Amino acid sequence: MRSLLEFREKVRLLYSKNEAYILPVLKFLLAFLTLNMVNGRMGYMERIDQLNIVLIASLVCSFMPSGCIVLFGALFSLLHLYTLSPEVALAVLAIYLIIFLVFFRFGSKDSLVLLFTCIACSMNIPYVVPILVGLVASPVAAIPVGCGLVVYQVLSYVSDNAQAISTMGEDEAIAKFRLVVDVILENKNTLILIAAFAVTIIVVYLIRRMSVDYAWSIAMAAGVIVNLVVLLVGDLKYETNLSLAGALVGSILALVMAKILEFFRFCVDYNRTEKVQFEDDEYYYYVKAIPKMAVTAQSKRVKRINAKRSESPYEDEDYEDEVNGGDSYEEDEGRSVVTERTGLGRRRGAGLFPGRGRRSVTIGSESGAADGYEELEDLDEPQVYEDEEYYEDEEE
Amino acid sequence: MIDQKKVILMTRMAYYEEHEGKRNVAIGRFFRGDYISWQVIKSLLASTVAFLVGLGLYILYNLETMMQDIYKIDLLLLARNILMAYGIFVVVYCVISYSIFSYRYAKARKSLKNYNRNLKKLSAMYEKKDSAAEGGSAER
Repeated sequence: MRSLLEFREKVRLLYSKNEAYILPVLKFLLAFLTLNMVNGRMGYMERIDQLNIVLIASLVCSFMPSGCIVLFGALFSLLHLYTLSPEVALAVLAIYLIIFLVFFRFGSKDSLVLLFTCIACSMNIPYVVPILVGLVASPVAAIPVGCGLVVYQVLSYVSDNAQAISTMGEDEAIAKFRLVVDVILENKNTLILIAAFAVTIIVVYLIRRMSVDYAWSIAMAAGVIVNLVVLLVGDLKYETNLSLAGALVGSILALVMAKILEFFRFCVDYNRTEKVQFEDDEYYYYVKAIPKMAVTAQSKRVKRINAKRSESPYEDEDYEDEVNGGDSYEEDEGRSVVTERTGLGRRRGAGLFPGRGRRSVTIGSESGAADGYEELEDLDEPQVYEDEEYYEDEEE
Repeated sequence: MIDQKKVILMTRMAYYEEHEGKRNVAIGRFFRGDYISWQVIKSLLASTVAFLVGLGLYILYNLETMMQDIYKIDLLLLARNILMAYGIFVVVYCVISYSIFSYRYAKARKSLKNYNRNLKKLSAMYEKKDSAAEGGSAER
């Protein structure tokens, strides 16, 4: 566990240090994946089904807002559909417009949820979506998830029946149009999926917000069960030929991915839960604080300070500490003080009211061997690495 | 010497300004009534266009039957039904928009109040530092 926590810290550190570069790269990869999926599934227009076009579009998306990826995905799909059949493209354009105008008025992040739903569906892992979305987003995210399911079902239906659509004559323009709309109105499978995912998202959200211990784990398990139950009920009522084995495997995968997400987003130590009660003029507060599980990255600093103080500011202790980051510098003679500060390890005992840190100070002669060192404990030196962060549930 | 508390406060405030603060500051420039009515007007326009697109979809979907029964259809009744559907859709959508944007405005104001409190705290830190510096120079 400790090595995992260290790995997480390293990932966080890497991300926070290089956020300016990592974010565009991630956007580029997401756009590249999306456009490649669109081209791979449809690819009727050869002009845009080319690697260089996809690369250019992805590059543009990398420094534009994330909604741009969805825009390019929609544009690519419409162009492919237009090549296949203008009537189908018109119907899909109308669906896109309605989704954009009615559902995306309230949040710009909704488009990413829609994209995530489409990608998960095309990777055959749709059951991951409601659990992960319920864990990180609000129940309103059920709307973009539903829209994503509709878009995916329409596009996959069209690409599966592309041969039949292309053989339909010009006099069957209305029939082509109806074909697309029927996917939404007649396909009970999509409606059941939308209902199941919406209920699951709400259940997962409500449980993970509760102040019970292991709320996230309970939320995931409950979400998976609710999802399966709604799907089964829908299957019994409308005979949608749901693959139970597929749903079970998908649910297990959803649990695994949710656990990974929990590790990065909500890794807390319930054993060290603290409950405090206090009051002010207006309220009584019942606070439950759960410390986050964290380690600081291992770092060792060795600092040597000459007992004979130099006049030069460059040999001042504080200055050396800042400039050299605690590295030692050569001394001509005399005693040296070696301080070692290592990573805190798991922050046990830090508590809600952080205690005092430890720094070991070793004093010895420069020329002498390490054997002659004397160990001192400076307990009055408070650790100042970072603030202790807690998840708090406060009831008034 | 670097005042660590001040640096932490300033970093948090800069982070806020960079992220959600941007949107909240934009919202906070409006009076409540102005902001919500502007958003509801935008919702009205969006819902009207969406309704027209949906109506177009409906007409195209039922074009064959409509063309067959064009002489049998009571056009006045159809128009009244469409208008009623439009009215219900727009009113429901605008009511939802109103509640969402009212909530968003209240949230933004609360967040900005917190931001202003932090600004005052920062200003108090500067004043304290200035008065300490003045006191030090007077002693000399």
